[in-house]
Amino acid sequence: MSRLAELAPALGLTPEAGPPGELRAVCASASFTDLAARIAVDAHLSDLFASVNPEGVVLTAVFSLAGDPDWLLLSTLLSGDRFPSLTPRVHAASWYEREIAEMYGLVPEHHPAPVRLRLHDWPEGMPPMRCRLAPGERAPRGERPEVVPEVRGQGVFQLPLGPVRSGPQEAAEFLFNSGGEDLVAVWPRLGYKLRLVERLAEGRPVEAVLALAERLAGTSTFSNGLAFVQAVERAAAVEVPPAARLARTLLNELERLHHHFGAVGRVADATGLLVAAAQYAMLKEEVLRTCAALTGHRYSRGILAPGGLAAPLAAEGMAELAGRLPDWRRRAAGLGALLEDTATFMDRLEGTAVLEPGYAAQHDLVGPIGRSTGVDRDVRRDHPYAAYAELAFEVPTDARGDAEARVRVLLAEIGQSLGIVQQALDRAPAPSAVPPDAPLGAGSALGWAEAPGGETLHFIELDAGGRVRRWRARPPACVNWHPYAHACASGNNLTDYPVIEASFALSHAELDR
Amino acid sequence: MSRWIVRGLRSGVRTSPFPAREDPEANDAPSAVELDVRGLTARTALAAAEACPTDALVAEGDLRRGRLSFDLGQCILCGRCTRLAPEAFRPVHDPRVAVRARGRLSRRVTWSAGGGPVEEAMELELTGRLRERSFRVFGRSLHIRHVDAGSCNGCESELQLLSSPYYDLARLGLFFTPSPRHADALLVTGVVTRNMEAALQETYAAIPEPRLVVAAGVCAIGGGCFAGGIMTHGPLDRLLPVDVYVPGCPPTPLALLHGLLLAVGKAEERRSASPAPVAGAGRKGEG
Repeated sequence: MSRLAELAPALGLTPEAGPPGELRAVCASASFTDLAARIAVDAHLSDLFASVNPEGVVLTAVFSLAGDPDWLLLSTLLSGDRFPSLTPRVHAASWYEREIAEMYGLVPEHHPAPVRLRLHDWPEGMPPMRCRLAPGERAPRGERPEVVPEVRGQGVFQLPLGPVRSGPQEAAEFLFNSGGEDLVAVWPRLGYKLRLVERLAEGRPVEAVLALAERLAGTSTFSNGLAFVQAVERAAAVEVPPAARLARTLLNELERLHHHFGAVGRVADATGLLVAAAQYAMLKEEVLRTCAALTGHRYSRGILAPGGLAAPLAAEGMAELAGRLPDWRRRAAGLGALLEDTATFMDRLEGTAVLEPGYAAQHDLVGPIGRSTGVDRDVRRDHPYAAYAELAFEVPTDARGDAEARVRVLLAEIGQSLGIVQQALDRAPAPSAVPPDAPLGAGSALGWAEAPGGETLHFIELDAGGRVRRWRARPPACVNWHPYAHACASGNNLTDYPVIEASFALSHAELDR
Repeated sequence: MSRWIVRGLRSGVRTSPFPAREDPEANDAPSAVELDVRGLTARTALAAAEACPTDALVAEGDLRRGRLSFDLGQCILCGRCTRLAPEAFRPVHDPRVAVRARGRLSRRVTWSAGGGPVEEAMELELTGRLRERSFRVFGRSLHIRHVDAGSCNGCESELQLLSSPYYDLARLGLFFTPSPRHADALLVTGVVTRNMEAALQETYAAIPEPRLVVAAGVCAIGGGCFAGGIMTHGPLDRLLPVDVYVPGCPPTPLALLHGLLLAVGKAEERRSASPAPVAGAGRKGEG
């Protein structure tokens, strides 16, 4: 029996089995916060979200435990609009509760900083996930409350940067507070790219929401599509054939590769190492071209379908991949070694923007950011999906939490990904038959994948007609942006800032959604 | 540091020959979908519209009598229509998919009892600046101010690659600039969210005339799969006058290059394999 399953009765819960690997427990609203806090002592809080059903508002917390392949979902039906905040006891709940508060009009009582997360001048009293607006109607513009602390001190100068940035980059605003050259504080003001994808999904067929899931964020396109489609498959108890699972693994790793090549290239660019930036950009471009040869799309959009793939991977693409892979492995290894040997590069990273392990652990960080602070967590290994259980790979970690640790983890993950791609190629996923349309009825399930930035966790509820009643998407940036301000304030200077931002490689589209 | 120089030199020249010559290695990814009316039936028209996740394909009527509209400005390249009816919907590998007039992205087909699908001639919108003037003013160098108005970051990922050795946009006289005051063109990606609208308008206002506006990607052109949301404003051309539309989701780097060259008058629009009939064809001032 899994440790989570043992834990539940000790807390007075009788979990029911949901889809395989999911334990679902329901509790009274008065005990939800206390139970969640007690589970979170040992377990990782992976998500906390709200949804509306005919009876009212349901809060769901998702937990996972190291070494345990199961997930525990704890839900409660709220009576009224207020609930005791989990944040004073579980810091990782903080941003989830801010999002719930602004989107559903709920009040997390005693939350230390219940300010808006993504809304700017949206009027009060019209929670966006619950309000009714006529087609084409726009909510009026209200006040935009200030959500960041004011920094005061002698010589402290405030400089707002963004949301329009210097080059072709995502829109986001950062408030710099500097005293001379020292970076005293940097506060991100996020939410500029809020599209409210979860509301767009309501009532729509699965195929349309899959297209939305793939376009939630561009550099984790495939991972988010995969997490979504796996949630659909788990809700409908649809088996995916082995060849399709292997093909999905291949594409998941190719995405990790092009993301990480781009990320390391941007760190090199931030330190002025232009040749390295160009070399990594070339690798990224080559991976994208190979994805196009395999799937017909550079970002592998349109290849996923419930039950398998929408079309077989192209044979010419497989041949191209087999031809390029040894060259990529050689170049990636050589470039990584040369970077580690370039003192002017490594010196910029060492000790920059440190996330101390104790601080990081409070946030239940995921992905390379988490792993660079020693959080040994990767859903490919811990909650295996697609074909990962059959393949050999390591999960690199580094305990120092600085920019150097983040870059070293990215470089090590590149090596691991290339190894997984090689194993997948050696098993030669045969072109798989296109699955028949899977009959979808009412059901609900979690779906997950290890996106390049960390685990992306989705939850869906389907109605009797197979349409999406509720889609919850929690990509990794939702978690990993949380400690960013703290890392910036750890004794850095202004010229460190581009290096800090590049070393985190966080997506704005994933958080803002 | 000399090892970096050696490594860089050893990579040789990788730059795409586009636009002087075709670049087949870069064209595995389709830049658009093309409708071939000769391969379309009423049945496949209705089925494709049903499968389309956006408003790129919209059908009315039934097998006996109906109409299909195809708007490339809303096509998110999901591939469903091309798999469902390959004889009618084909991927376009030629990256020259950008257009100056919004209407050039649309096709309309009708059918009625006794006949197969027939294409309607469309009135061509006459919008955007004249080609000759653009070339005179911007032909040698164009400084571009990019604004992400709410994209998924796929478009930015492709835009960033324009500076990479494979594409090197500077060789074509195209440059990104951080300052709108120094810019000649505004390049917008993303769906124009409520929260970005003000920054977008201020950036446009800060660009001195003459200036061009390029809508890159279907989010900017028509909202893509985010159209109609309560947090999104809608097509860019409802807010700003758009000179060039580059379809795609995201547009490939070569498609983006073509769009920028089209804006400055150094490239032409593509002639499609089965061109749409144009009402009043041959009228002066077209394009």
